[in-house]
Amino acid sequence: MRPFGYVSAPDVATAVRVVSTEPNAKFLGGGTNLVDLMREGVERPDTLVDVTGLPLTAIEELPGGGVRIGALVRNARLAADPLIRSRYPVLSRALLSGASAQLRNVATVGGNLVQRTRCPYFYDHASACNKREPGAGCDAIGGVNRNHAVLGASEHCIATHPSDMAVALAALDAVVELESVRGTRRVPLLDLHRLPGETPHVETVLTADELITAVELPHLPVAAASHYRKVRDRASYAFALVSVAAALHVREGVVTDVRLALGGVAAKPWRAHQAERVLLGAEATEEVFLRAADAELAAATGLPDNTFKIELARRTIVATLQELLTDGSAA
Amino acid sequence: MNGLVGRPVERVEGHAKVTGTARYPADDPVPGALHGFLVTSTVARGEVTDIDTSAALGHPGVVAVYTHREMPRLTVPPFPYPKGFIPLQGTAIHHAGQPVAIVLAETLEQAQEAASLVQVRYRSEPPRAVIDDAGQQPYLPPPFRDRPNEFTRGDASRALAQAEVRVEAHYSSPTRHHNPIEPHATTAHWDGDRLTLHETTQGVNVTRGVVATAFGLPADRIRVLAPYLGGGFGAKGPVWPHTIVNAAAARLARRPVRLVLSRAQMFTLTGHRAEFRQHLKIGATREGRLTAIVETTTAQLTTTEESIFNESDSTSTLYTCPNVHIRQEGVRLDIATSSYMRSPETTAHFGLETALDELSWVLGVDPLELRRRNHTDIDQETGLRIASKHLLDCYTTAADAFGWSRRNPAPGATRDGDEYIGWGMATEAHTFSAIPATASVTIGLDGKAVLRIATQDIGTGTRTIICQIGADALGVPITDVHAVIGDSALPNASLSAASATIASISGPVDRAARTARDTVVGLAVADRRSPLFGVPVSDVETRHGHLIHTRDQARRDTYRAVVSRAGKPVETTGSVPNVPGHSYGVVFAEVRVHARLGAVRVTRVVTAHDMGRVMNRRTARGQVLGGVTWGIGHALMEHTVYDRATARVVNPNLSTYLVPVCADVPSVETLFVDRPDPSSTALGARGFGETPITGVPAAIGNAVYHATGRRVRDLPITQDKLL
Ligand SMILES: Cc1cc2nc3c(=O)[nH]c(=O)nc-3n(C[C@H](O)[C@H](O)[C@H](O)COP(=O)(O)OP(=O)(O)OC[C@H]3O[C@@H](n4cnc5c(N)ncnc54)[C@H](O)[C@@H]3O)c2cc1C
Ligand code: SF4
Repeated sequence: MRPFGYVSAPDVATAVRVVSTEPNAKFLGGGTNLVDLMREGVERPDTLVDVTGLPLTAIEELPGGGVRIGALVRNARLAADPLIRSRYPVLSRALLSGASAQLRNVATVGGNLVQRTRCPYFYDHASACNKREPGAGCDAIGGVNRNHAVLGASEHCIATHPSDMAVALAALDAVVELESVRGTRRVPLLDLHRLPGETPHVETVLTADELITAVELPHLPVAAASHYRKVRDRASYAFALVSVAAALHVREGVVTDVRLALGGVAAKPWRAHQAERVLLGAEATEEVFLRAADAELAAATGLPDNTFKIELARRTIVATLQELLTDGSAA
Repeated sequence: MNGLVGRPVERVEGHAKVTGTARYPADDPVPGALHGFLVTSTVARGEVTDIDTSAALGHPGVVAVYTHREMPRLTVPPFPYPKGFIPLQGTAIHHAGQPVAIVLAETLEQAQEAASLVQVRYRSEPPRAVIDDAGQQPYLPPPFRDRPNEFTRGDASRALAQAEVRVEAHYSSPTRHHNPIEPHATTAHWDGDRLTLHETTQGVNVTRGVVATAFGLPADRIRVLAPYLGGGFGAKGPVWPHTIVNAAAARLARRPVRLVLSRAQMFTLTGHRAEFRQHLKIGATREGRLTAIVETTTAQLTTTEESIFNESDSTSTLYTCPNVHIRQEGVRLDIATSSYMRSPETTAHFGLETALDELSWVLGVDPLELRRRNHTDIDQETGLRIASKHLLDCYTTAADAFGWSRRNPAPGATRDGDEYIGWGMATEAHTFSAIPATASVTIGLDGKAVLRIATQDIGTGTRTIICQIGADALGVPITDVHAVIGDSALPNASLSAASATIASISGPVDRAARTARDTVVGLAVADRRSPLFGVPVSDVETRHGHLIHTRDQARRDTYRAVVSRAGKPVETTGSVPNVPGHSYGVVFAEVRVHARLGAVRVTRVVTAHDMGRVMNRRTARGQVLGGVTWGIGHALMEHTVYDRATARVVNPNLSTYLVPVCADVPSVETLFVDRPDPSSTALGARGFGETPITGVPAAIGNAVYHATGRRVRDLPITQDKLL
């Protein structure tokens, strides 16, 4: 590992100031992704600004019924929080389906949101990767791409975003709060991550010196009946092939409210707006669920290794909605 | 006798391991040791045209960087060095991940960072990474260690043509890596031309021999130490290039050097289970009696090595069949050489046990009944009766425990909610070797015994079983015996591999201990100061550290008293040959397959095994649990992925090379027949380590077929294959 400087930030102001003034500095959360990437030589920061001592660890109820989550809340604590479990079960389940207990104890909300792709070529210096080295090419496209994107990819990059938590947040209309020396701004979670286009190395709308300070969830009654389903190659401790975050409300057989997002399929957590449009006001039946899935996946394209994910996503959407329907929680 | 052998005795080193006091080879402190780190090739085929080490040499803490330019010329050792070349001896590149330089630095971090600063230029050619891309006809390699790769019995093609029923299918499995938790590590310490190696090895003596050949040294100049091992599974059976390269570097640098492979390096430097194809044709009578088996297999080989490790023993010996023709072919690819991986016979066994299942459906015969009909007690190769084989008992015991008779035979007929339920079974079988060994026993003045033998405990419980045997033979509590193993300076033993350990070392340990006991009894009855003075030795028994007159229990002495009166320790040795053979068993598996998503879960497993005498139920059960877990990985997920353009491993880490986690493994009911094998000199025990696992992949695949009606012949059975 390359030698680097380390600063433990006492407050938010110091954290953002150091990162904006020191050349090539990065925020350090739980380190479960950043330190791995430094060991692999993919990330080569000169200075790490440890933000885990910042007072951004509260989970608070907001006046309008929403919830504000500090960016340094650890994944395990967020998953276990009673407010989250009762009002946004999809978020709790998404978190618990990610990584391992040890990692969740350390990983932070902020770090989870901007963790980087698991594309194996991104990690392998000897291969061409536009994300690691803009303009170098993309070895995944003609290579091994089982875990790669089927939606929103470009000819420059087909990587997926690996976070489970972010998929639930995408379904829940979350808003992210950012802080820098220039002040505070709020960005809808759905606008936080970018599709690769011609610049796959630019993954979010965050500037390099912007700190995620909080995530806010709106008051969202439909989320009380919500579920996260993660499909993967072993029972636990694996990234999603496909995942579905869904919240569903049905009255007299008709969908009155719905939120749907997909994971493992794109460079960002994928909100399934097309599917939601089909579902809203329609009968809650398997046929409608299928039609909704097809509408969302009409634009999907696959490569030799990952075409199956389109069918798998279709089936997972239906299975997740069916589950919410049949376990009675959607009524 | 205490009756310790056969009991579920706790691991004698368990406490040391879980409290972290057990010192594994990379933990041994070696004063002044440098840290080595390998620079490895990014191309798979071609040659090194230039290496610039200046930036690396300028990095803080770096002591040396050696390439083929500095390395001494070494001799390529034969098996068990299954590589065919030593790196850093020239410019040729045979696979990606081949070492091209070694960096020595004061700290590991410095060595790693400096390794990334070595600039290597290559001339490269398009490599061949998988059998599909081989671009060549498979060929029949020469015999491997005197075993031919073609085998015939009877006239298989004629019998096949005349068979009443035929089944023909192609089976395949990908490259897989052992992935022991402990990475390979070596520390080389030269003292003149004497070398000490702290080595993660399954064979201290084998390592000594291979390294001696490489350096042209007499073996007695080398000492190899491996007191504990954090898993081997065959990966640490052969000697690999890093050990030789590191020792050469330490000699050049005149400092001890420690080298620990990274996880990624373990995917190219320490062997693997070769990618494998199997074409099987089976002929049978309408009653299901096998009349012909024709099998052609294709395994990945390399341009430097052509040993076939995925042998078809089960095909030729497991069932009675008069006409068999097996060809074990290979193709040469530009990836690392393969080697043994627990259990080498599993790869071909999967096809055989799946084909039998396919035959059972064709015939409409229950798969278990089909195996019973083809059962034999005759060794198919020699025609002699097998001294002890209780496979039929295994079938009955496990089938009863599993409830096999309640099975609804129709595929896809049992459903629970969203899931189909399927039941499958397969026979398990594996060979074991027996390798000559010698043990010694020393009884000290404190009456305690030290058992010495140059074997290894690779996590299977060897050390504990040595103590059980020694304590029983001596008639002392297990706390009064101590086993010293994992050191080439000890009395000779061989590899902990080929399921040979128990079969090879039990007799010698028992003999040495019995001789020691007899010696101590002899001392007692000859000693006027002993209460046993003058008692015929046949009237003395030993129990709990006491020597006791059998007919007058009040007359007794102790080991401690006798040996301390004698004033010097009692030392004995023992050596007893044994014969190789097979251990058998059966595995029944229940799976649930998600009807919509194709995900497979293994929900229940029952096994029964015949391994001769069970020396320690606890460690034997551990072998079965491990084997079933491996089998689940094999069947459902494990898969080393190569980039076909570059022949580099795409998933060289435990985040992307998936092995089963606890949630993938159900509870396993492990049953044992436990009948001593009269032909075994290992107290009636047979080798066993590799038998459990052999049938697991097929049992799971057969259960998936029963659940869904879908036959997946290409492992692993990932859910995309069942959508
Ligand atoms: C073996 C393994 C398996 C895993 N499996 C899963 C899985 O199944 N599902 C899943 O979702 N995740 C999985 N993960 C990923 C894990 O969730 C992430 O590593 C973790 O959430 C990152 O959080 P962190 O706090 O450790 O981030 P860090 O590693 O500290 O940081 C990650 C990135 O975020 C930046 N950063 C950190 N905090 C902030 C902030 N407040 N504001 C702005 N930038 C910030 C850092 O600069 C860095 O670029 C796995 C990880 C491992 C190692
Ligand atoms: S998919 Fe993206 S991350 Fe992967 S190699 Fe291509 S450019 Fe790099």
